Amino acid sequence: MLDKLKADFDGIMELVNKTPAPLQETAFKMILEQWFSANTARKPIPPPAPLGPGTPPAPGSVPDSIKPFLTANAITTEILEKVFHPTGPGAQLLASSIPGNGKANKLVNLSLLLCVKQALESASFTCTLKELRELAVHYDCYDSPNFSSTLKANKNYYKPREKGADLELSGPGLKKVGESIKSIAAGE
Amino acid sequence: MDVAQVLEDVLEELTSIQKDVNKLKTVSVSGQVLRKRVKDTHKNWLPVSGVLEAGNIIDTAQLQEVAVAWTALVKLANNASPKKLYKAQLKIIITKTESELLHRFIKGSAIQTIGDTLRKLVQPIADTELLKYLDESIRCAETNCVRASVVLAWCAVAHMVHKKLTSLGFATLNAEFARMKADKGLMFRAFTKDYVFSTEPDVQEAADAHLILLCRFLTYLDDTQYKHLKSALDLRNGCGHPTGYQPDPVKLQAYYADITQLVLLNPKFA
Repeated sequence: MLDKLKADFDGIMELVNKTPAPLQETAFKMILEQWFSANTARKPIPPPAPLGPGTPPAPGSVPDSIKPFLTANAITTEILEKVFHPTGPGAQLLASSIPGNGKANKLVNLSLLLCVKQALESASFTCTLKELRELAVHYDCYDSPNFSSTLKANKNYYKPREKGADLELSGPGLKKVGESIKSIAAGE
Repeated sequence: MDVAQVLEDVLEELTSIQKDVNKLKTVSVSGQVLRKRVKDTHKNWLPVSGVLEAGNIIDTAQLQEVAVAWTALVKLANNASPKKLYKAQLKIIITKTESELLHRFIKGSAIQTIGDTLRKLVQPIADTELLKYLDESIRCAETNCVRASVVLAWCAVAHMVHKKLTSLGFATLNAEFARMKADKGLMFRAFTKDYVFSTEPDVQEAADAHLILLCRFLTYLDDTQYKHLKSALDLRNGCGHPTGYQPDPVKLQAYYADITQLVLLNPKFA
């Protein structure tokens, strides 16, 4: 295992150096933890009792597919648990209100959070406009005449799409939602 | 047709027209361009109006009210007409379309798909007794009886909690309640009730709040899980008694996600 660590170390340092200086120590720690958990031989886990066809993965466990996003944004499981419950399939947004000033800001933050909610469910950072509208009505940040223009004005947070198509987070979107999650968890 | 998208587009254009009308310094709206925009927007409105009329989400009377205002607005656009009449009709159309049509449509379409979402959450449950309650609850949700749905889904939770606690045996159950009463910890010191159970109906008569507190005491739930289950019980109580609270489909979905994870699919309650 030591040989493999030596071989991977440069790659790890390269990743760490990409993060801002104040976060490098945290990033190094998190990446190293991930490396050990991925490369350490584990005790065999007995298979779970069969629940039936099409059963989703166990609720509550963070899917592996979104761990790189969490690591890159220094989001620990404790932070994530303050925003989503459970932090796996079936995830629900815990926030009683959405951060942001005004309906437009709230709508954008909501769309980003919904993409993470979907990623906890199915590993893709996407969100349907139908779900966004339903949640926006629920959180009172739905401004119908400006719905499209608000999303358009913040298009850098989403991958290019046709009008009416689902939203998918871009790099800046992932970064922005990482900040939102930490801000919500900190009670700001 | 994406009804919500078309209605948003219509509202966006109407809001823009409203701003331009307000900016006019003349008493009447005589410009051809502005009048043409009204007529073009009306053309976009007509197909969506037809879809709403054919569906069962929107109240026909509300739709009719908007249609009447549209007819009046298009009539005004046929000639140079007073600005104040435009403003009045635009205000009616925008307000009603937003609150009575679009918001209702969004909530209504959430109701139409809520059944699938909830069934997906309860799919792994095999207990037929639980499924009876849950099926009835989901059918309530599909007919927009959200409060009834919340109450019936709680019946499944209560059934499972009763079953688990009864399985301990009445002597153990009585002893654990006595132990919890004696506990002076922050979470349990407010519990002062004496319970003596000798039959299953005795357990069913106990307050759900006390039963789930005992589940916390017996560590079937941790503090966070208990907090969320207590919130679910509070919602159930809010829906089962005459209050002004009306949860929406989003709230119902979150409630279902909680109760399935915390109790119905929690191995500690198996």
